[in-house]
Amino acid sequence: MLLEAINVSKAFGSFLAVSGADLSVAEHEIIGLIGPNGAGKSTFFNCLAGDTLPTTGRIVFDGNDVTRASPEAHARAGIGRTFQVPATFEDMTVLENVMVGAYLRHPHRNDARDHARRIVELTGLRPDQPGRSLGTPGRKRLGIARVLATEPRLLLLDESLAGLTPTELQEAIALVRRVHETGVTIVIVEHIMEVIMTLTKRVLVFNQGHVIASGTPEAVVKDEAVIEAYLGRAHRRPAPERTP
Amino acid sequence: MVFVQVITGGLLLGAIYALFSSGLTLIWGMMNFINFAHGEFVMLGMYVALLVMVWLAGGPAIFGIAAAVALAALGIVIYFSLIRHVIRGPMLAQILSTFGLALLLRYSAFWIFSSNFRSLPPNALSGTINLGGVFLPVAQLVAGVAAIALTIALHLLLTQTTVGSKLLAVAEDRTAAMLMGIRPDRMQALAWGLSAGAAGIAGALMATAYPWSPSVGETFGLIAFVVVALGGFGSVLGSLYAGLIIGLIQAVSAYWLGAIYKDIVVYGLFVALLWFRPQGLMGKA
Amino acid sequence: MKNLAVPHLRLVLLAAALLAYPLVFSSAFYRDVGVTFLLAAISASAWNIVGGYAGQVSVGHSMFFGLGAYTPLLFYTLFGWSPIAGIPVGIVLSVVLAVVIGMPTFRLTGHYFSMATIAVAELIRIFVGTWDFVGAAIGLQGPAVARGWWDLTFRSELPYYYVFLAVLAVVLVTTAIVESRRFGFYLRAIKASERAARSLGVPVRQTKLKALALSAAFTSVAGSLYACKTGFIDPDSGFGILVSVQMVIVAALGGAGMLFGPLLGAAILIPLQTATNTWFGGGGSGLTYILYGGIIVLIARFEPGGLFELWHRIWPQRRSRAHAA
Repeated sequence: MLLEAINVSKAFGSFLAVSGADLSVAEHEIIGLIGPNGAGKSTFFNCLAGDTLPTTGRIVFDGNDVTRASPEAHARAGIGRTFQVPATFEDMTVLENVMVGAYLRHPHRNDARDHARRIVELTGLRPDQPGRSLGTPGRKRLGIARVLATEPRLLLLDESLAGLTPTELQEAIALVRRVHETGVTIVIVEHIMEVIMTLTKRVLVFNQGHVIASGTPEAVVKDEAVIEAYLGRAHRRPAPERTP
Repeated sequence: MVFVQVITGGLLLGAIYALFSSGLTLIWGMMNFINFAHGEFVMLGMYVALLVMVWLAGGPAIFGIAAAVALAALGIVIYFSLIRHVIRGPMLAQILSTFGLALLLRYSAFWIFSSNFRSLPPNALSGTINLGGVFLPVAQLVAGVAAIALTIALHLLLTQTTVGSKLLAVAEDRTAAMLMGIRPDRMQALAWGLSAGAAGIAGALMATAYPWSPSVGETFGLIAFVVVALGGFGSVLGSLYAGLIIGLIQAVSAYWLGAIYKDIVVYGLFVALLWFRPQGLMGKA
Repeated sequence: MKNLAVPHLRLVLLAAALLAYPLVFSSAFYRDVGVTFLLAAISASAWNIVGGYAGQVSVGHSMFFGLGAYTPLLFYTLFGWSPIAGIPVGIVLSVVLAVVIGMPTFRLTGHYFSMATIAVAELIRIFVGTWDFVGAAIGLQGPAVARGWWDLTFRSELPYYYVFLAVLAVVLVTTAIVESRRFGFYLRAIKASERAARSLGVPVRQTKLKALALSAAFTSVAGSLYACKTGFIDPDSGFGILVSVQMVIVAALGGAGMLFGPLLGAAILIPLQTATNTWFGGGGSGLTYILYGGIIVLIARFEPGGLFELWHRIWPQRRSRAHAA
């Protein structure tokens, strides 16, 4: 098991956002986390990424307890994450943005630059483009490129594919697949069912703070509890859609 | 008996600290923004009081209201012309905006009013009163009590009225507030008006009892930081307690250590707070 | 190829102009302006490291300046030593102070740091004003007559000019090196988005502390140079808020976060300040600070990136940074 979350709970005051969530991810898997808004999946995700401190429970990565580790420590350990709203380093070029990530494993400028160049090519971006001139799809791609440069073993993607046109979405899915093929284990939080159905082999469904179902995408989609959780939200068709 | 005098004096001044600091904490709570010119708002309130007295022969009630209104208007103008633009920008712009404003206001005041210390001409609040052996200037007593009342009023405004709950809604979650039909922009402008108005009237109150010059803005600004840090950023009630405590500490330090040390103790307390308890007594960090 | 030659040519011309200035403008008045300009450029460039590059806005940098200014004159006053002996001590004290301030505030939002800097600077200023050991309100004086070159007390402005120029070169070269290496990338990432930087493994708190310490050290040296030149220091000229203000405005006007921003800012503000002081006499200083306040507000409102940014906005060109080619 590369990543294990055991009985993780997170309370904000008296509000229990996540209660008793478990997760096991083996190396090279692609796992999906889905659930209605407010179901707790984002909070759980932030616990995994080190941005939120769990109230109870443990998170173990590659045999090491990272429950209370800082985001920086997570990155060093090999856990990378993207953000829903990518915080591009506006005043830096694409290459410089990625170099910030590359510097984690390559302290010297030339090594970092070469490594960053390779990642930029892999993700199909232009190295000299100023960060601020990128549109939303470019920024999301840059977000992935940046974290890839830190050479993570586990990549946590936080709704990184939302807000894309159908073509852009296909490109993004292909990119995630390419990344997976380089040996990175991936956990995706998503609303877009097409992404979940085509990319992931196993899905966990959150509702009201805990996991209500888990299994293959096909099985989960037909699960009674899952359909009930989504009642009122038109997630029936596995077609790409814009998320507000 | 002298000690009781010292304590009373400290609490009364502390009440005024509480009033103007509550304005600063309101802005912090709403917008995560620190107004480095807040002390200058207090200082300007003092001069408005002077001008209204001298030009319009207004009494304390008149110039108190005038100071509140004038500074509230200034606060709103500053919000729309400056703050609204920098709040979404880089930290440098945010800090420099009110820092530069402080300089502008302070040195303009030096230019216009000179650096001489002023007092208000004799008015309805002149004279001393004897409360059981403790001699207090009437003005100090009235100013202090009025300040406490106004601070509590502000707290009630925020927690008990519709307007107040709208302000708090914007502070809590801007997007959710917008979805509920509240205009965050207007609410934030209102907050600036309230904040500056509170500072203005605190200044007018203070002018009745203590002499001042344009240099006091710098000191009051720092005192406001300490009060807000102690009371908790975002909590008006916290400012009330903290203001009284700081006033007390200041008076006692002056009494025991000497007048020159009173500010050192207060600023030192601020540094200690940052180290050990940045969220203060009652607030969110 | 042509683009490559131009920046280097500009640099050579700048260096030549700076070297030749006091020889061409050789009256005491112009040389003094030159020395004041260099001092402003040094302090602002020092501030720039933490305020411009890392985006941690200190408005109390005078605390480091004052420490650096007091220690040389203190060693002279107490032991009769050359003021140079005090310079390293000033640096050490400044770095320690930097760490003391940075450690608690850097884990909170940027406003806390800014507030802390102004409060601590003021705290030190008042305290020094009450402490007889360091001269209280009267301050300290340096050697009236030089006992040797090591007293750094010269009759003419010329030696000061070149010493200051050398120090400025050191500060700028250090900044340029920082800019091109990992440390510089990390600073700019922190300024742009701390959250994103953290997620990429940037040790945010340590990086900020290092930047502040480096900035404090250079600011301390600037203070020492000032004390040696004027031969006098007191709480206001060492720790006063106006010292902090000048550093900030010089850097921000030219372009905070850019290597030559502070130099540009100083080139504009020092002659301006000299002019207003001359025209309005003693009362000029009041007007000067009204102007400074106004300029700072305008910069914050319209162009936080300073004049360099404005220039690039009006004449877009490919910005060459040494490392990105």
